Amino acid sequence: MLIMGEVRTGLLQNSAEIEERDHQAVLGLLAGERVRMSRRPIVYAVSPDLLTGVDCRLPSASRARIRGVGTVVSRSSITGGRVLQGSSYVRVTRGEVNYRLPWSHYLARPGVVEVLGKVSGPDVADGFLAFGAPGEHLDLGSVSDRFMDVVQESPVLDLRAPFRSNRTRLRWVAETGEPGVHFTLGEGQERTLKVTHQGEFSPAVVDLCEDLALHDWLLTTLLTIVQRARIGGASRPEVSARLAPAVDTLLHLWMPGARIHPSLAALWESLERTPGFSRQWQSLVERIRDQLAVNTLALLRETNG
Amino acid sequence: MLVFAISDKGGTGRSVTSSNIVYRRALQGQDVCYLDFDFGSPTVGAIFRVSTASRGTTKGGMHRYLEGEIPEPTRIDVWTESDRDAIRAKPAGAGQMVLLPGDEGGGEFATFDGEMLKRCVRLFAGLHEQFDLIMVDLSAGRSFAAHLALAATAQLPRIPARWLVFHRWTRQHIIAANGLVRGDHGLLDVGVEHGHDRDALIDRIRFVRTAVLELGSGDFAHLRPAQRSWLNEIDRELRELATRHGVGLTTMLGKVPLDPVLQWREQLISDDDVAGTEIANPETVFAFDDLAKKIVDDTAWEGL
Amino acid sequence: MTSFSEVTAERQIKSGPLSHVSVELGHLYMEDFQAGPDRLRRQFAAVAPWLETVRRSWQSRTPGGRARISTCFLIDDYFSRFSTPSELVPMILTAAAENDLVIDYLARESACAEADGVKLAKLVEDRLVPDPPPGTRGWRPPTHETGWLANGTRSPVAGSGQAMKTAVRWEAPTQNAKRGHSIFVDVELWNDDSRGRTWSCPFLAAVWQLLRLGLLRNEGQLPVQPVAVDGGFPTSWDNLPPVVKLNSSATPFSAYTTLSVLSTRFLQVELAVRTILSQVSVDEEVLKQVLSRSSDEDLRLEEELVDRISYVFL
Repeated sequence: MLIMGEVRTGLLQNSAEIEERDHQAVLGLLAGERVRMSRRPIVYAVSPDLLTGVDCRLPSASRARIRGVGTVVSRSSITGGRVLQGSSYVRVTRGEVNYRLPWSHYLARPGVVEVLGKVSGPDVADGFLAFGAPGEHLDLGSVSDRFMDVVQESPVLDLRAPFRSNRTRLRWVAETGEPGVHFTLGEGQERTLKVTHQGEFSPAVVDLCEDLALHDWLLTTLLTIVQRARIGGASRPEVSARLAPAVDTLLHLWMPGARIHPSLAALWESLERTPGFSRQWQSLVERIRDQLAVNTLALLRETNG
Repeated sequence: MLVFAISDKGGTGRSVTSSNIVYRRALQGQDVCYLDFDFGSPTVGAIFRVSTASRGTTKGGMHRYLEGEIPEPTRIDVWTESDRDAIRAKPAGAGQMVLLPGDEGGGEFATFDGEMLKRCVRLFAGLHEQFDLIMVDLSAGRSFAAHLALAATAQLPRIPARWLVFHRWTRQHIIAANGLVRGDHGLLDVGVEHGHDRDALIDRIRFVRTAVLELGSGDFAHLRPAQRSWLNEIDRELRELATRHGVGLTTMLGKVPLDPVLQWREQLISDDDVAGTEIANPETVFAFDDLAKKIVDDTAWEGL
Repeated sequence: MTSFSEVTAERQIKSGPLSHVSVELGHLYMEDFQAGPDRLRRQFAAVAPWLETVRRSWQSRTPGGRARISTCFLIDDYFSRFSTPSELVPMILTAAAENDLVIDYLARESACAEADGVKLAKLVEDRLVPDPPPGTRGWRPPTHETGWLANGTRSPVAGSGQAMKTAVRWEAPTQNAKRGHSIFVDVELWNDDSRGRTWSCPFLAAVWQLLRLGLLRNEGQLPVQPVAVDGGFPTSWDNLPPVVKLNSSATPFSAYTTLSVLSTRFLQVELAVRTILSQVSVDEEVLKQVLSRSSDEDLRLEEELVDRISYVFL
């Protein structure tokens, strides 16, 4: 009926990119399950799927009291040995009965939250995308956060990240229909995404949302670094020093659509037209490169002076 | 980096000094946050002049977070939510300055359990991801706040942590500050109990003297010679006492002069308070700036 | 596109052969052993007619009456160690034979904690998805991290709380899926001490059930393959394979369903086992394999795991 999820994205707390062989230790959140990895065009590793049981009110734009029971599917992933994501989603369906069944009933339907009573899909979707007060309703973002925290607690990581950064929060809803995608940049770290896709829902839609969240985070983080570098305000060496972590850590991670199923590629392309992620990224990268080049030249002139 | 602000006695100016340190670090371009762990009196919003949190927040603060009632404590962006115009004007290049207040009506905890400890550890680790400096203002004296902080930092050995013990320059305060650190059930005892190494922990503790009267300054020009020599004698005794109690110059990170603004209205001291309205002394800002730099300066924290 | 298939291609789940039903003929603890061989003989005598009933019932459900029924017997070598395999196993086999019972497989209880280097109990622990009390929004860490697993909401703990606030008042615990009134169950899964972790008897028994249902995998592989023992039983438990195949013509150890014939003193343990099993999330792929196998045989399996497990209490 309705599929909704939240992706949180942040910087892995390690001074360097983590090695390929460390991914199993960091993302192996389920005994007996391998971490899955792909190496082209960028190293990407993802934990096994994990379930969390919930029994709570669902968000609702009309403030209706909607009780849902079931499980949330979550996973953690690391891209380029640097960027960590926690991603959770549920499929909301109408339950067959109006009372709560034994837990084994819900466990037999992983990733499904059954509503006890009446529910309107668009009402829940609008309530979810509105980012109400945290903690009152089903909180997919906090579930995602928890699976990021578990990764960041890994003893493999040295917790000496090259710079401080915020986690972004991308909430998405997906439904079947004429293909389309609508991305909104909210206040602070909040973003929303509405995806309409052809045919049945598949996990490829989740991949799309995670990929978009990843690139939005890269762009957001790079923008912050550039703003804080005070180009033109601070001294040249200071500006260079502030831009350096971005160059070392982020610039090579930009690979939009790398893991997207071909059936959804058109959706990414439409996001490239508006708002035009890659255009903005390119202009930022050029600005950074120009600054560093100018500063290096100035430095050379001084030393040769 | 985690910095814990603690004092044995109340009225040391711990909160106002640590708030000003945070403010100075933010002006220096660092991302900073301030956690109100003074659970019995969650009023730090007043110093930042955030009226929505002057007696703690009603939206779910530190108390409810630690008790597991909410997934994350409320955050207040001081640059946008302070009522003071001088604070709201965020200078270019300044870092984030975020306040995490306690709950309105919140009280000191009677104890803490394993779950609360886990939540505290998770909070510190999460903030470390985002902020260069995490200032944690602890209740005065031996408190569950301090106990919780020691237990949590023992589980986070990879996050640098430093402790600032605030005390006034009086006989009673010097003895009390030493007792809080080295006394029975003091910071060291409790720290070791939770897995800290005693010597390593000692190296992470420094003292800050507050409301200090500088005898050489012009304030004393009007004193009679007898008064001046009496004060000198007292000061010499206090210095001896401080050295004997391990609160001497070698373990001192800095001192904050007595300033009427801090005494009568605990507030952030903006540059305008010094250069514009001249209600605060330049020495005070200088002391805050100095402390803000020394907190992160490793040479000030080398083993003794 | 290459990378997409590169990721998904790596997950491969082995499938294993299955009987129709796995019948547990008994479970031997130190006190049973100390009571002497007569006690065992009496138990087998009581079990025999039930096994016959099961056999007839499955024969009537399967085409040509070719019911695949395997029998097994579990010996505790985890909580206390007594006797030796070379002494004990022949005694058990003799007592069974006297009642015309054939024990196909013999298992050691410690195999449920760890077998052939695979930590089975840990596999199951990581797959626990606790039954959420109403009001669970997903952000609290799971409650079973404490080593306890319940089927509802515990009474609030008095003693914590803030100064000068109203003290916490006692409230009754409640079962999540209650019908009017609660039957609240709280199961200890393990305890840790200086020697490490000790899994509880119900937890190992839950692993035992999952093993018999063929629902466990380690990195896609089937853990614990039954092994025949040639040339007599060893004198040390450690040298006995985790699961021994005693009967060369036995049908597979794991089965679509299980039946355990047990003394009523195990009733509480098995309530705890069902409490645990109703909160274990078995790999979807493995469940699908089992379902497709059974439907190939025109067999309809119960959807929920706990409904595939049955008991006879004597």
